[in-house]
Amino acid sequence: MQDKSNSAGLFEIYALSEKAITLNFGNVIDEALLKHVTDFKHTLSQHPFPGLIAVVPTYASLSIFYEPVTVYKSTLPGINSYDKVSAYLQSLAGKNHTSLTQQSSIINIPACYGNNWGPDLDYVAGINNLSTEEVIKQHSAAEYKVYMIGFIPGFAYLGGMPETIAAPRKPSPRRYVPAGSIGIAGNQTGIYPLDSPGGWQVIAQTPLKMFDAGRANPSLLKAGDIVKFQPVSFSEFRDIVENPGYLNAY
Amino acid sequence: MQIKILKPGLLSTIQDLGRTQFLADAVPVSGAMDVLSARLANLVLGNTENAAVIEFTYHGAEFLAETDLLIALSGEGSILYTEDQELPADRPIFIPSGTRLFLKKNDGSFSYLAVAGGWKVPEVLGSKSTYLQGGFGGFEGRRLREKDVLKNTDSLSAESNAILKSLKGSASVSFPPWKAAKNDFLPLERKTIRVIPGREFTWFTADTLLDLLSKTFTVSPRCNRMAYELEGPPIIRLNTQELLSTVVTSGTIQATGDGKLMMLMADSQVTGGYPRILQVIAVDLPLCAQLKPRDEIYFEILGRKQAEKLYIEQELNIRQLAATIRTKY
Repeated sequence: MQDKSNSAGLFEIYALSEKAITLNFGNVIDEALLKHVTDFKHTLSQHPFPGLIAVVPTYASLSIFYEPVTVYKSTLPGINSYDKVSAYLQSLAGKNHTSLTQQSSIINIPACYGNNWGPDLDYVAGINNLSTEEVIKQHSAAEYKVYMIGFIPGFAYLGGMPETIAAPRKPSPRRYVPAGSIGIAGNQTGIYPLDSPGGWQVIAQTPLKMFDAGRANPSLLKAGDIVKFQPVSFSEFRDIVENPGYLNAY
Repeated sequence: MQIKILKPGLLSTIQDLGRTQFLADAVPVSGAMDVLSARLANLVLGNTENAAVIEFTYHGAEFLAETDLLIALSGEGSILYTEDQELPADRPIFIPSGTRLFLKKNDGSFSYLAVAGGWKVPEVLGSKSTYLQGGFGGFEGRRLREKDVLKNTDSLSAESNAILKSLKGSASVSFPPWKAAKNDFLPLERKTIRVIPGREFTWFTADTLLDLLSKTFTVSPRCNRMAYELEGPPIIRLNTQELLSTVVTSGTIQATGDGKLMMLMADSQVTGGYPRILQVIAVDLPLCAQLKPRDEIYFEILGRKQAEKLYIEQELNIRQLAATIRTKY
């Protein structure tokens, strides 16, 4: 209804509310789209506009929150704040992207698989006709891309899991999944950053604090990061919990 | 200034106008459900509008003034009383030390208690708001309990000091003859909630869209700071494609898998995967916050330009109110 495609055809623009605009780059999970999203976020962070509050990336969209009165009173061209922001974003898209060429570093996540830390490991192995050892091997061999952070603070949606260890969600969610639980839902894997209810099949737990409101960067992961899981024994798990200095090794 | 909570009521938390800097980490905005009332409670005291307030849910809370206080209550969840008298909303009130205060029944859901200087809690991730699910922000990341002691910050504005001086002369409860005319900021018709079409508005059948804009919807008992569920005619999809998780915000009305409507509120998730059928306009969100289970509403559709115009007018009016209070003192 309110769509406009920008000149380069890179995205559609729509009003999410009076205080936010969304740029929609597509409707599929795809690394090329993710790159458009992260590149545009980077460009915008280097060229902010007056009244900009927050920029939120998802799989294939970027939402831009702003303060309408500040935008309205700014000298940006346009008759209302939506027009001003929308025209500004389209002008940015027309510019040459300063593409993010910086290589993502691999973030290693220690993971204690099975038993109390992964109560659904046997189930995931069973429905895929694999041994639990094979599930651990495949899950920890893959490199995952953080596609987006969503659902609850610091929850990373990871793409790149082998389909051979895919598993459906639990028919009804567990009322309590502890922080650090690593789960599988369909072709996706993810890590619960907070104690929360949840329906993913839990195969392991990490001792790392994926989200900590006391840190300057509260979320350990951000969109675009590359993640690998590193199997650890229970005693290593306990060492990390008891001796946070040990974390520097990861 | 200091109070002690004698009865916490159903759910009482510290809030401000929200936490917007960490949306990209999926940290919800949180903040006051009825931001208009929270802002007015602060402004009539000479506070900045973002100062920390106590959000009370319904009535039933009680607290003790352990020192002299300069406070204001705004919002429709309750009415403030001493043992002897009902106290007016939306204006500064001087309370002598030792007074017991009670929140009694009113028509809405939430009320906001501001204190001169704002309630003193640490800032977490750029905000004083409580986010209960994450266990951080506000008062120790939790709801208020019996025997909690809350203090104000000692940094009172010149206006706050002037208001205090003008009221403190008497040894009893006192307040000025003026108040913030909150009704000037709200529409006369309170049952009609104005909306703009959501991004997936056209994913639904013509009958559903007609129902949406003509039939009554009822607030279900399943409502909390994250979302209010609305009951009404079934919501039927024309387009059954899966929506890729994308950004939602307070006021977004999602149509869930079982054909119900979920109106997202202050503690809303940052992203969601249900189609967004409507978006409540920003100036009507405080009305929505005050809805209770079994309340009935209608939707009226506006264009986004109109919605933005209403928002900017209201913001300028609120700034005008703050300026008027400044010139009074």
